[in-house]
Amino acid sequence: MPVPGDFIAFAAAMLWLNQDHPIGTARRMGPGYMPMLTFWILGGLGLVIVLGGLFGGPAAIGRFAWRDLALILAAMVFFGAALERLGFYAAIAGTIVIAAIAERNFRPLRVAGLVAGLLLLCWAIFLWGLELRIPEFPWSR
Amino acid sequence: MDLISNLGHGFAVALTLDNLLACLIGTLLGTAIGVLPGVGPVATISLLLPITFGMQATTAIIMLAGIYYGAQYGGSTTSILMNLPGEVSSVITTLDGYQMARNGQAGPALAVAAIGSFIAGSLGTLLVAATGPILTAVALSFGPADYFSLMFLGLIVSAVLTEGSPIKSIAMVVAGVGLGLVGTDVQTGQQRFTFNIPELSDGIGFVPLAMGMFGIAEIVRNLENPEIRQTLGTKITRLYLNGAEWRRVAAPIARATALGSVVGILPGGGAALASMGAYTLERRISRNKAMFGKGAIEGVAAPESANNAAAQTSFIPLLTLGIPANAVMALMVGALIIQGIQPGPRMIETQPDLFWGLIASMWVGNLMLVVINLPLVGMWVRLLKVPYDLMYPAILIFCCIGVYSLNNNAFDVYATVVFGFLGYVFLKIGCPPAPMLIGFVLGPMMEEHLRRAMLLSRGDPMVFLERPISATLLGLALVAVLAMALPSIRRGKDQALAG
Repeated sequence: MPVPGDFIAFAAAMLWLNQDHPIGTARRMGPGYMPMLTFWILGGLGLVIVLGGLFGGPAAIGRFAWRDLALILAAMVFFGAALERLGFYAAIAGTIVIAAIAERNFRPLRVAGLVAGLLLLCWAIFLWGLELRIPEFPWSR
Repeated sequence: MDLISNLGHGFAVALTLDNLLACLIGTLLGTAIGVLPGVGPVATISLLLPITFGMQATTAIIMLAGIYYGAQYGGSTTSILMNLPGEVSSVITTLDGYQMARNGQAGPALAVAAIGSFIAGSLGTLLVAATGPILTAVALSFGPADYFSLMFLGLIVSAVLTEGSPIKSIAMVVAGVGLGLVGTDVQTGQQRFTFNIPELSDGIGFVPLAMGMFGIAEIVRNLENPEIRQTLGTKITRLYLNGAEWRRVAAPIARATALGSVVGILPGGGAALASMGAYTLERRISRNKAMFGKGAIEGVAAPESANNAAAQTSFIPLLTLGIPANAVMALMVGALIIQGIQPGPRMIETQPDLFWGLIASMWVGNLMLVVINLPLVGMWVRLLKVPYDLMYPAILIFCCIGVYSLNNNAFDVYATVVFGFLGYVFLKIGCPPAPMLIGFVLGPMMEEHLRRAMLLSRGDPMVFLERPISATLLGLALVAVLAMALPSIRRGKDQALAG
């Protein structure tokens, strides 16, 4: 769950990692100088936000649609993993099916039609039209 | 005159077949996404960035620009006919536009939106052409310290003008600057925050960040809030204005164009703020105050003119200073860098085709929008009948393929997943993503100018206050922050942005 202290945590983590980078001097700044400035400022702002939250009462955070978010992101991860292993068409089909589950009202026939239509469209735009070099059937090689 | 010969050159570039086609595709696509709620110009442009790889730089930018101002145009159509704003910048148009449609005046409402947009767009374009060379000359006298302060001002103002809590916006800007520092340090070659991942050595990808935070996060948000769409069953007649209407809207269009042009140039300004401002102004000073909210034609003319003027003039800081005024312009920076062009004051000199061609194409595009779109209103409205459950998988797949094809690498797809997650969480906890994108783009540039300025001043930070330009810009940034601390101004801003 995101908490108001996230900016502080992020800044602290980055400052810790920034220890590897030489700071240099104000005249000749090293690679660590700007990150140091940036993340100290961010940490400070994070602190102000947290303090403001303490006085202003809890901020209203809406309900999270975790299911929709997880399915959409899972569909994308599937695409990334499948494209070079299963190929263009299989990756597209799988991604659409996973994404379509996010819609409350999953209708198999409708999704099948959508898959067919989008396969054709993607082929026409990306492979035929733009001639992108994307593996079509990597497993057949 | 120079301006005229330059514009002539611009038209010669803009009227080549490739560029005309790019302009047409851009404006049509822009209109389409303007009509569709939940698909905005930021998401669309980030979606199309990978495709512009293979194009010539000028052609690519002409197309992307067309999407932006085309969207301002398309947004008004559904606002008027269905009380459904396709874009944030058209929210305010629903107030009087939909009332006009209910009174059987859908035709004049659409016509005034189109005509106002065209007039404002043309004047805005002319303003870009006229001020571009002047501002460029000024910008060339800027030293590194001045540049740093200018970017600092840009970041502060863009954060402050965003909807919601200013402090959270500023934190988002700073976090964006921080993300921009990931990758190889240009001066020393040191790897920063890359965890030895080779894909990160060039920095975090701009397209995955933009597409994740705007495209993917939007999809999830639209899935959770399904829209109810219904068309007003009126027939659209008389797509033109009569004499009395012309007299009523002439002054509002002129005022809105002026206001929109100014707001567009402001960092963090842009079309949405311009339309709100223009409507508020007209409601206050119009002779037909009582009609506002009940179908006043001025209430349609003003916001629609203002948002189009702002869409044109927001190119001014980008083209002259290389500084993006809003998230769309940040994407333009990304598109230029992909093409190997560093945006900045030298662009007008080194890329005259791009500079003048883009300006001329804006005018051509505005003309296309009026000529092509008024007769096609019915078609655009029908576009809304495409159900979202068929649309979002298509958008998602285009995102995936587009991101992958950037480097033919699945890493970028996974990076998009991460930013999609972050973007959604940010939406939910009230942290606006646009300032982060602007910070991300400006971060590396700020670091470079900071280093140079400090080297020149031998490590003395007073240089930022001793140079008059720099000191003025920092002073303005301070004023912006203080102004937002005043509750009355903040309330006014939130009201305007909330529509």
